[in-house]
Amino acid sequence: MILNTDGLKPIYIQVAEWIESEILNDNLKKDEKVYSQYKLADMYNINPATAAKGLTKLADEGILYDKRGLGKFVSTDAKQMIMDKRKNQTLKQLVNDLITEACNLEMSEKEILQMVRNAWKGETNESH
Amino acid sequence: MKAIKCKDLIKRYRRKKALDNLNLSIEENRIVGLAGRNGAGKTTLMKILAGLLKEQSGIVEVYGRRPFNNLFVSANTIYIDDQMNFPSPLTLIEILEEGQRFYYNWDHELALSLFNYFGFHPKQRHNELSKGKESTFNMIVGLASRSPLTIFDEPTTGMDAAVRKDFYRALLKDYLNHPRTILLSTHYLEEMEDLLEEVVLMHNGSIFFHMPMDDLKTYSIGLTGKRTVLEPWAQEKEIFYTHDTGVDDRYLVIKNNLSDKEVEDMKQAGIRFSPVSASDLCVYVTDEKGRERGVDDVFNRSADR
Repeated sequence: MILNTDGLKPIYIQVAEWIESEILNDNLKKDEKVYSQYKLADMYNINPATAAKGLTKLADEGILYDKRGLGKFVSTDAKQMIMDKRKNQTLKQLVNDLITEACNLEMSEKEILQMVRNAWKGETNESH
Repeated sequence: MKAIKCKDLIKRYRRKKALDNLNLSIEENRIVGLAGRNGAGKTTLMKILAGLLKEQSGIVEVYGRRPFNNLFVSANTIYIDDQMNFPSPLTLIEILEEGQRFYYNWDHELALSLFNYFGFHPKQRHNELSKGKESTFNMIVGLASRSPLTIFDEPTTGMDAAVRKDFYRALLKDYLNHPRTILLSTHYLEEMEDLLEEVVLMHNGSIFFHMPMDDLKTYSIGLTGKRTVLEPWAQEKEIFYTHDTGVDDRYLVIKNNLSDKEVEDMKQAGIRFSPVSASDLCVYVTDEKGRERGVDDVFNRSADR
């Protein structure tokens, strides 16, 4: 992943999201040790304090757990937690943005639902 | 222990107060950026911390000791700027060897590897170097010294973009392996943002703010939209910067204390959000009153006549 330093999203959130993606892709499995703040700082060329903030965020949410003196590890139900979080927050926000833009373009509910349906069909057709 | 502590620090040059009741405290083992306009007092502060200048009054402590005329501080601090004076009879490699004799933490292997990486010739002399090469060499001395307090005053002067990038990377790498307190002033704050843990902004000889970089980056937010749409939202907000373009477009930088609801409503109203870089914000907040349009005013004056 390349960090987006011009975006509105703080770097430590981007680091946290990258670790989440690694968990979703099974690159980091449950009870596996996660990169240390120093390793992350080296990987992304950022201050280790920023990397630590990303790790702390995930630990606060219960996605990672602490083993004293050993570092942070992936929680048993980390994957499910991340998916729930993304559905309830990220996806919800995206839908809100979609509707805002649809209203700006004076589209009706029916029109936008049709667009979603078509996109969904296209997506599932391609995957078959 | 605090690496740096200043209380009511004052330094006056003949006509001007360079430091005016400055208060600052910096924890050990952090990378701290020192920002501020030309003449804000950055160099004076850094030179006092390194013991190269004497303060007039107030308290200044580096590792609990007053820096001026202090051997302990001198052995534990290095000050690097673009006017380093090395003895001219010495070759570059001899300068590095002298560094090793003076600084007890000196890493000569690192010094030589960087020396080779940046393509220096051992027999070259310091006064024969180009501006960029000189800065690069000074940077090597600063990194290799491994001083518990390492001060870089505009270390990147004259360096090209590639060398600056290498410098930032080398600085971070060496800091990760050997944490120490690093204080840097730079006019390329935007290039260094992600390396810094804290930012100290100086203005007119005192500290304007001192905060973690993560907080600074979300401290303000840019809004773009139609002037008439923006105006009601901007009321009761702290505005740092305004810029009008086109017929009725406006760009505003305000303090970022908007609630989620406000953000949502503003989006609905067609206002666009953009991040404000730390370096831009530092410029906006330290702008003198009465010159809202910056240097444009100088040019518009003649047009008005």
